[in-house]
Amino acid sequence: MQQGGGSETEVTWEDQQNINKFGRLNNRFHELEDEIKFAKESNENLEDASNELILTDEEVVRFQIGEVFAHVPKEEVESRIEEMKEVTSKNLEKLEEEKESILAQMAELKQILYGKFKDSINLEED
Amino acid sequence: MATASSSSSSGMVTERRGIPGAQFVEDVQTYLTQAGLDVNSALAFSKKDEELVLHSDNALPEDMTLQQYKLVEMKLQAQQRDLQAKIPDIEKCLDVVATLQAKKGTALITDFEVSEGIYSRASIEDTDSVCLWLGANVMLEYSCEEATGLLRRNLDNAKASLEVLLADLQFLRDQVTITQVTIARVYNWDVHQRRLRQASPKDS
Repeated sequence: MQQGGGSETEVTWEDQQNINKFGRLNNRFHELEDEIKFAKESNENLEDASNELILTDEEVVRFQIGEVFAHVPKEEVESRIEEMKEVTSKNLEKLEEEKESILAQMAELKQILYGKFKDSINLEED
Repeated sequence: MATASSSSSSGMVTERRGIPGAQFVEDVQTYLTQAGLDVNSALAFSKKDEELVLHSDNALPEDMTLQQYKLVEMKLQAQQRDLQAKIPDIEKCLDVVATLQAKKGTALITDFEVSEGIYSRASIEDTDSVCLWLGANVMLEYSCEEATGLLRRNLDNAKASLEVLLADLQFLRDQVTITQVTIARVYNWDVHQRRLRQASPKDS
């Protein structure tokens, strides 16, 4: 945060709590962005995998479970991949929702804090 | 001109699991006179970021705590990374055990890694038990149910520890923010004082 030019605006405990909350939300926002990116990648991978699966004509597919590749019949692999796709897309939805809510809260706090401190505070990304 | 305001704040946690809480300063003037610090001789600014260069004997208590906080933060973040790597591992193990249980009766053929880039085929016969690596060069054999129970307990513990850790980190970041804001306020107050003195040079 920048230092102000010697203004006399007092910082109350409530202001401090707002500033803290903004900091926490900002951190969580960045973490969420990473998580969303990761979830999108997994989703894409699962999509590619299921596409490949449709193209292949092998009966037994080596499906990775943990550190080993188990020989699993094609149908079972298909259903597993469908399950995993559902889980990841639900997760992705949840993350996106959380991100929206955080952005809204941050915008609100920005208004409050800029309203009180005007130029004495900097809440933008560096 | 200084108003007599209370210098204690309410609703503040004084410390959390060994991390000292940052004291919130209600009024800068009162705080400085109480601490017996003369801001003018104590603060020397060479750069405009939060790392204020201080004369060592009159250092602001805030500056020391900021460095300590940073150390603790790095330690906690390292722990967080460890836990975040451990949790998917445990989940993978649970998956394998579940698959073994599901495939009871039939032999399971798998390709496993012998060495980097080299895989070999193995046929896993009907299994009632698995061996779990407990760390410290110890491996124990468990029945599938016991193994699932143990792994689930480990997973729950790891997730709970991670939550506590994240809450600690949040608390820590709050304290860092409070400290940074206090440093900025002291600086502002000082600049303000200088301006007042320049404006009325006959008062000292």
